[in-house]
Amino acid sequence: MLAAGRPFFPLFLHVFGAMVLTGAVLAALIVSAAAWRRNDVVLLRRAGFWALGVVGVPAYVAMRVGAQWIYSQEGFSGDADPTWLGIGFAAADIGLLVLLITIGVAYWWRRSGKPLAGHIVAGLSTVYLLMLAVAWLAMSGKWG
Amino acid sequence: MFHMTAAFLLVAGSVAAGVFNTLAIRAERPSDIAYLLRLVRVTLPFIFVGVAGTLIFGLWLWHEQDLAFGELWIWLSLVLWVITNALGGMGGKHQERAREVAERLAASGDASNDELRAILRDPKGNAMSWLAGAATIGILVLMIWKPG
Repeated sequence: MLAAGRPFFPLFLHVFGAMVLTGAVLAALIVSAAAWRRNDVVLLRRAGFWALGVVGVPAYVAMRVGAQWIYSQEGFSGDADPTWLGIGFAAADIGLLVLLITIGVAYWWRRSGKPLAGHIVAGLSTVYLLMLAVAWLAMSGKWG
Repeated sequence: MFHMTAAFLLVAGSVAAGVFNTLAIRAERPSDIAYLLRLVRVTLPFIFVGVAGTLIFGLWLWHEQDLAFGELWIWLSLVLWVITNALGGMGGKHQERAREVAERLAASGDASNDELRAILRDPKGNAMSWLAGAATIGILVLMIWKPG
């Protein structure tokens, strides 16, 4: 259950976007890990890029727009904001960089088929999933 | 926090399964289709932990937060939770059937046929999975909106 008395649509957009983004990164991790043993399977490379680009990017946008929308509606100013909010924004903004780099490497992997590129996608996806997990734990547990 | 974690696992696992299923429907070779549908199995532990966790921690929160027994949005969520599981199970059986046919064809020349195409594009079978997803979104809407 989520916090009561908060604006519905921005919170829904934020949470749903974050969940779908997590799923897209999980899909990229699964295919890149599967390719560790079967790098010859072309569709794994296509699936990794597709999951991150077609599913992950719109989900990121929904998550980030929802976050900013709630932030402005709930009157936060940047002064003495709670810790969980800082963790969430850090995960979102540093996460964007990680997501874009992962998509770039996934594109390189798709074009070149080099196993190294697949390994990097697997590593970056793992890092990003951990960042997302810390963010959802901090935000739902209202750390600090 | 645990309830949210379970919800994240459920939705994220379902999205990953949906990605593999969508790509399998679009794939041409039975070996590719079978491989993608096998990857759906990797997402199942996330989905199962999410399904169990949302119910267990949800009921715990219901008690913990002293919410009334008659809270309509909680009962509606429970109904949708049952519907999600029933539809998801039926959609999963449909995917398993497609995987079995794809594996059989992959082992005998790797050429697609009308049977496989019909299973993959069967609107009823695919609708089960999509409706399960829609019901999950419905639960999320109720959890945030809390009507009544």
